Amino acid sequence: MQIKPILSALRQHKAGTLLIAMQIALTLAIVCNALFIIQQRLAHLSEPTGIDEPDIFVVQNEWVGKLSTSQADARMQEDLRAIRQLASVQDVTPSNSYPLRGSGWDDGIRLKPDQLQDTSGSTVYFGDEHFIDTLGVKLVAGRNFRPEEVAPMDMRYSLSPPVVIVTRALADKLFPAGDALGKTIYLAGSPTAIVGIIDQLQAQSVERWAAAFAHRSVIVPRRLAVSLGAYYIVRARPGQLDAAMRETPRALFAINPRRVISDKDGLLSFAQVRDRAYERDRGMAILMGLICVVLLAITAAGIVGLTSFWVGQRRKQIGVRRALGATRRDILGYFLTENLLISCGGALLGVLLAVAVNLWLVVRFEMNRLSLAYVLAGVVLLLLLGQGAVLAPALRASRVPPVEATRSV
Amino acid sequence: MLKMTHLSKVYRTEVVETYALRDFNINVNEGEFVAVTGPSGSGKTTFLTIAGLLETFTGGQYHLDGVEVSNLNDNERSRIRNEKIGFIFQAFNLIPDLNVYDNVEVPLRYRGMKGPERKERIMQALERVGLASRAKHYPAELSGGQQQRVAIARALAGSPRLLLADEPTGNLDTQMARGVMELLEEIHREGATIVMVTHDPELAARAQRNVHIIDGQVVDLAEDPRFHQAVHAARANTPA
Ligand SMILES: Nc1ncnc2c1ncn2[C@@H]1O[C@H](COP(=O)(O)OP(=O)(O)O)[C@@H](O)[C@H]1O
Ligand SMILES: [Mg+2]
Repeated sequence: MQIKPILSALRQHKAGTLLIAMQIALTLAIVCNALFIIQQRLAHLSEPTGIDEPDIFVVQNEWVGKLSTSQADARMQEDLRAIRQLASVQDVTPSNSYPLRGSGWDDGIRLKPDQLQDTSGSTVYFGDEHFIDTLGVKLVAGRNFRPEEVAPMDMRYSLSPPVVIVTRALADKLFPAGDALGKTIYLAGSPTAIVGIIDQLQAQSVERWAAAFAHRSVIVPRRLAVSLGAYYIVRARPGQLDAAMRETPRALFAINPRRVISDKDGLLSFAQVRDRAYERDRGMAILMGLICVVLLAITAAGIVGLTSFWVGQRRKQIGVRRALGATRRDILGYFLTENLLISCGGALLGVLLAVAVNLWLVVRFEMNRLSLAYVLAGVVLLLLLGQGAVLAPALRASRVPPVEATRSV
Repeated sequence: MLKMTHLSKVYRTEVVETYALRDFNINVNEGEFVAVTGPSGSGKTTFLTIAGLLETFTGGQYHLDGVEVSNLNDNERSRIRNEKIGFIFQAFNLIPDLNVYDNVEVPLRYRGMKGPERKERIMQALERVGLASRAKHYPAELSGGQQQRVAIARALAGSPRLLLADEPTGNLDTQMARGVMELLEEIHREGATIVMVTHDPELAARAQRNVHIIDGQVVDLAEDPRFHQAVHAARANTPA
């Protein structure tokens, strides 16, 4: 190949060469990081909650008027019985929250009463003896709540359940030796015993602040009995989600119409919950994707533009080269090689820049370290883009006839 | 070496057909030095571009070195240009982005010649034209005469058997023109066939044979007394 003369010729076109190389470097740096962010977001939003998502929906029930704790609890029990009687419903449990809801109750867990620092953060879910079956989570050790352990609770009471069920992630964090079952822990300051361990249950929030305890959840045997109402988490019989979602509010209003189930988010299938929870992540991934596409398009257009300009400018010397014995392939090869050399230079710079941008993101936004596979993929992508972009003008150059050498300018 | 019979070249545009060459016949023997003269627009350049395989023709035959060239494909034509033919243009046509050395190297690279041999040939050719010391200069840093000598070195480096020159001295002053002419004569003495288009009767007179083109046809000099006189006068003026 004729690398040396191409390089020396490029020295006579420093401005254009540098411009394109810089553009490639910048694009590479941004595209690598953007692709990496996209991948991270996609991985994030496909994280499993641990529950039987396809059959689950959530009703947010609010009472009209002020109710005492016992009044609210009586009405809630009535609601739950009615829902359970529906043919399309398998089970239901009342709770203060549910995975991916966005916000909820989180609290620190300690192993000793006089401990100053929490051993772990955790998401606190209320639930009765139907919680495990309704959500479809798997009990891997110990037992479920007994009906007599479940009690109504108002927000003004302190949280002091006699027993709790925890996720394996929380159990392993609190007791790395694997002997969590039966142990006493201190939740919000009061002692309680671990009676069961479930496989997996994700936190309410998928935001960064909740990442530290993303799967460390604790279930307390409590019904939230307040006028503001609670969430009824319902599991439909397989394939009957739509029917169950239609029948449940109807049944509830039939018992007692003095309640509010909001049109906007009073009734959500879990698929909708998931969509809402990851709206930002999806938006970010799409935005990053768009930025990549736009940047790549601009870079490709820049290469096409500059090469076309160069081909026009060099028509005469292309004719001379043809007269001196260059074949069409030689001319095509000249422009492809020229682009490859510029792109390689740009890519080299781009790799350094990509790592620098990533380091900045790591420090500034606690991003993960960029994996080299993405840098490599970016380099290959840009080299291919360059060759693709240069192809049309290079083919045009290869068709410049040798007689062009004799034409006066 | 070069034989054209009943050759024609028509340039077609949407409105007109121009016969640049018509019923054009010429035979140049191996080792000849032929000067081609004729009025502007008569078809001299067209003849050279066809002879040098830079362009195709419309009708007739052209045998180069015994080969009928209309049967050759683009790659074969490129190879013949590269190996057998050397070009010298009026406008020098050096590649402005490359220095003198790299310019002379261009045809040798297309021939696929190895580095050491290229270097030897380039330096030889540059010494021959007296510009070995300017190898690192760029064309823009040289005078017209020097540029044309680099172009000659580029044409020579590949040891072509046929040298085609289109008004090689047209852009040069008399002194530089003489230098270039002497160089061509020297190359001719070493065995190359040369076809040179020129406007200069003095230079034409120094060639072995003159071919006159009018309106795309070769005109027999014996039948055109005016030109005969002009050549005669020029010969008389040339110092021996
Ligand atoms: N590319 C072209 N397209 C159309 N006509 C052309 C072209 N090249 C040359 N001609 C015409 O062909 C004729 C011969 O031109 P040329 O060979 O350049 O003459 P010369 O070199 O003797 O001055 C002229 O009439 C010229 O206008
Ligand atoms: Mg001409």
